[in-house]
Amino acid sequence: MSGTRIWSRVMLLAVVLATGVGAVVAPAVRVRAQDGPSGEISFAFWGDPAEEAAYTRVAEEFEAANPDIDVELVYTPGQNDYQTKIATDFAGGNPPDVFLINYRRYGQYAARGALEPLGPRLDASATLNDDDFYAPPMEAFRYRGGELSCIPQNVSSLVVYYNQDLFAQAGVDEPEAGWTWDQFAAAAEALTVDEDNDGIAETYGLAVDPSMIRYAPFIWGAGGEIVDDLDAPTTLTLDTPEARAGIEFFINLGHTGIGAVPTEAELLSEDDESRFMRGGAAMLLQSRRVVPTLREIEGFAWDVAPLPVGPAGPVGILHSDAFCLAAEAENKDAAWAFIEYAVGVKGQTILAETGRTVPSLKAVAESDAFLKGNALGGELGVGLPPANSRVFLDTIPDIRRVPSISTWPEIEEAFNTAFQRAFYIEIDVDGALDVSTFRSREAFQRAAEEDQT
Amino acid sequence: MRRGGREMGVRAWVDRSWRHAILLPLVAVFVLPLVWMTTTSLRETGKPLPRTLEWVGDPVAWSNYPAVFDLLPLWRFAANSAFVVAVAVPLTILVASWAGFAMAQLPREWRLRLTLLSFGVQMVPLTAVWLTRFVLFKQLGLIDTPWALIAPAVMGSSPFYVLLFLWTFLRVPREVFESARLDGANPLRVWVGIAMPLARPTIIAVSVLAFVLYWSSFVDPLVYIRSTDRQTLPFALQMLFQLDRSNWPLLMAGAVLVTGPVVLVFLLAQRYFLQEFRGQGFLGR
Amino acid sequence: MIPPPSAQAAPRAPDKPNPALPAVVPAIRGRGRLRAIRVGYRGQLALMLAPYLVGTAGLVVLPALIGLPLAFTDYNALEAPVWVGFANFVELAGDDIFRKSVFNSLFYIALAVPLRLLGALGLAFLLAQPFKGTGAYRAAVYLPTVVPDIAWALVWLWIFNPIHGPLNQLLAVAGIPGPAWMIEEWGARFAIVFMMCWQIGEGLVVCLAALGDVPGEVLEQSRVDGASAIQTMLGITLPLLMPVLLILLFRDTIFSLQANFVPALIVGRGGGPNYATTFLPMYVYTNAFDYLRLGYAAAMTWAMYALTAIVLVLQYRVAKRYRLGFGDAE
Repeated sequence: MSGTRIWSRVMLLAVVLATGVGAVVAPAVRVRAQDGPSGEISFAFWGDPAEEAAYTRVAEEFEAANPDIDVELVYTPGQNDYQTKIATDFAGGNPPDVFLINYRRYGQYAARGALEPLGPRLDASATLNDDDFYAPPMEAFRYRGGELSCIPQNVSSLVVYYNQDLFAQAGVDEPEAGWTWDQFAAAAEALTVDEDNDGIAETYGLAVDPSMIRYAPFIWGAGGEIVDDLDAPTTLTLDTPEARAGIEFFINLGHTGIGAVPTEAELLSEDDESRFMRGGAAMLLQSRRVVPTLREIEGFAWDVAPLPVGPAGPVGILHSDAFCLAAEAENKDAAWAFIEYAVGVKGQTILAETGRTVPSLKAVAESDAFLKGNALGGELGVGLPPANSRVFLDTIPDIRRVPSISTWPEIEEAFNTAFQRAFYIEIDVDGALDVSTFRSREAFQRAAEEDQT
Repeated sequence: MRRGGREMGVRAWVDRSWRHAILLPLVAVFVLPLVWMTTTSLRETGKPLPRTLEWVGDPVAWSNYPAVFDLLPLWRFAANSAFVVAVAVPLTILVASWAGFAMAQLPREWRLRLTLLSFGVQMVPLTAVWLTRFVLFKQLGLIDTPWALIAPAVMGSSPFYVLLFLWTFLRVPREVFESARLDGANPLRVWVGIAMPLARPTIIAVSVLAFVLYWSSFVDPLVYIRSTDRQTLPFALQMLFQLDRSNWPLLMAGAVLVTGPVVLVFLLAQRYFLQEFRGQGFLGR
Repeated sequence: MIPPPSAQAAPRAPDKPNPALPAVVPAIRGRGRLRAIRVGYRGQLALMLAPYLVGTAGLVVLPALIGLPLAFTDYNALEAPVWVGFANFVELAGDDIFRKSVFNSLFYIALAVPLRLLGALGLAFLLAQPFKGTGAYRAAVYLPTVVPDIAWALVWLWIFNPIHGPLNQLLAVAGIPGPAWMIEEWGARFAIVFMMCWQIGEGLVVCLAALGDVPGEVLEQSRVDGASAIQTMLGITLPLLMPVLLILLFRDTIFSLQANFVPALIVGRGGGPNYATTFLPMYVYTNAFDYLRLGYAAAMTWAMYALTAIVLVLQYRVAKRYRLGFGDAE
């Protein structure tokens, strides 16, 4: 034991020496104002330009309300690049004070004590209460069922976006709440049109990315499970008849089955969102985050519907991001003030009006800012699409989630590679099950060990 | 080639013809990716993609270029890139030519050792040093400044550049440096007055290589730069890609804009290091 | 700044008995005190070498050395590293993706390096003698080499597009059904090799320079002796080029092991399909920066060094065995 400790000291010393200036202690003395937090904080986030504009506005309005605090925005467009950036910043000891992160990703930081728990701060908040928020995202950000690590900004979930014009043209009934898997598959098949029979459909019934977070609701909907224990998982549990039924139903939608989903070659040519926006796909399985982009659609009418209901009853999958506070942040009070503002009524209203989020605050979710697209929508009687935004709220009681253990990204990666292959190349479900179980075993083990120490 | 006589003229003509016959298609293959990059950038966005080979879009649309500027603060990124290159390239030349000059005059065994070391250093993959460099830069306060991107220039950017200078200076007869030294000149003066003027093709070649290196650098800004307005052009292209992964005309327009300046610099400089080798070749022994 | 030991300790160049010394030597031979005031010629040379050596030590050697012991730890960069002995290496042995990435890297070297060398050499032969248009030809061949990595990767992502990409449409004109490049594993492996065969400008320049150094009289003599152009090339020019080609071979091997990172990231969409373009740097990157497994990534870096060293030694031995002119190659 002591050997280990000595070694870790040596290692740290080496790192410090390597920097050549290890002995120089950064002067961190700051003049603090007498009342209220002040100073400079950094805030990191990702998204497309519409989202950047929204977060910039949140920061600006916050600064206007708190003139003593400056918010430095750290914007990265792509989520993968963003993860790299955050990881490097943390690893290099230079994390952003406040950052946005998905619940499937925060485990890496929470497990290592890199996050300042926000539960106590929320309890002490004068403006916010725990039960102002919807429960599912709050649970997701209680690391392993413990204290609240971050404050979620949204409670999005997977839904079906559909092209109303294409449905009407094909004479297919628009989806309604409670529609079944069979109806869903039948609609997808009927809406797939390959006029010249060249194997490349002019219109596909469905555009969906065959990754774990898309498979998941179908696995659950068939009565299967993804892992054995949500808070302390030890293995994937896909090898049950129910889980397999869900997986097989999903794969059958693709070109090895009814052929209602674009092939991988076509996906490489045109991504799902572009295809849907062009009218090349009748349905799109996505979370709320595509709405700002879809609002640019001019050629046809569109709306959202809940996921179809499988044999085991209705189920949705949580998509949620939260504001986290780095444990190393120098100016935690100012950072908390910003988070409190951003997840509060004002901040969430601004974000909801961009269309990007399903607000995690019940009050804002039930307001016109979300349901109509802007605060004026209700008064004027017109709103921005999708008209049926309430679908996102109706789904909340049925929402489930995947674990947030520290090694979860590795496990998803193992699943995705195997099951993308199964979806696009060969329908070898057994092979995909074996490979993903084998490749994820080590990761489950490491997460469990880490949790014991 | 000019040897006079009709017979020789015919032979030379034949000789030249088969060269062109081989070279023309070969060279066409080499520039083809760039041709496709340009032609695709001139397609109209939103039009269905071609199913058959199509050389030029119909109609030719220039609109993708302003669209890139609308989406991203490209001038800002270009200015950042230009600054990095403007500092890093001269610094690279200075450090690399100093090191090559010094190595050329070291005793042979030390020169060999340093040459081997330089080769060894090239074996180190960048992935292995990102994180430790990050820690170093952070301690030095370089994170989120262009200096983090310029930093490799203080080691001459790449050991390869040092070796290029070494090989150049080794070609210079020893007596040249020796006699200057006898006259009491210090190394700096020998370097300025004798070595560097002899190394002109190498200087241009290394400048072009270093220009390309810093202009293209993509992972460094990703890791060391935080604020968007301090990013460089390659990162802008990555941003464009992340924003819309299948808008090919727009992506290609971005690629053309990022590639254009390097191509221009290369075309201006290539004459000096691609055209003349005999007598003043920058490599060799 | 510490001048390297060479400056004071090394004897004079053995090949040059040096009469120049008296003028400057007092400064070198003098006591420490004197030297501190006046730096001699050698000392000044050492000062000119210093930025390179210090910079290399600080930016490459030390960071790399620090990374190495991390291979024996569990290190996530957020907590102190924990000593785990050889556990990372044991895990590597059982990691099928790691084995695949070693295979991918070896495959890539085995194919890309010879192709790039042969391409550079062949073009250099064609372009060595100046004639009308050489300049334009040389420039055109070099051009792809200056294209920024990410722009190059994006262009090829488009070129390899299985349905709309220009490559498969060109093949279709010739009546050849194009493969689904980046969707099939082997298609993807070949595709990455393929796109890297364009950027051979540096090799071309080196070969051109080496060809320029072949003494004209030797070639003339060979022609007078009645040897054909091919014979001259194989019998005289090529052996003379061998030292330079070997250096190019080593350099390109080292370069190739690392240079496929951006193509794998962009064209292979992070190392796909099914890890077919997960080369070693890509896998190191994923583990270090996506999964924060820096200890494990360091173990992989060890493997990468070992692999490079093995390949270089093998190449060296083959070259030596066949006496491929390993003379005084500096």
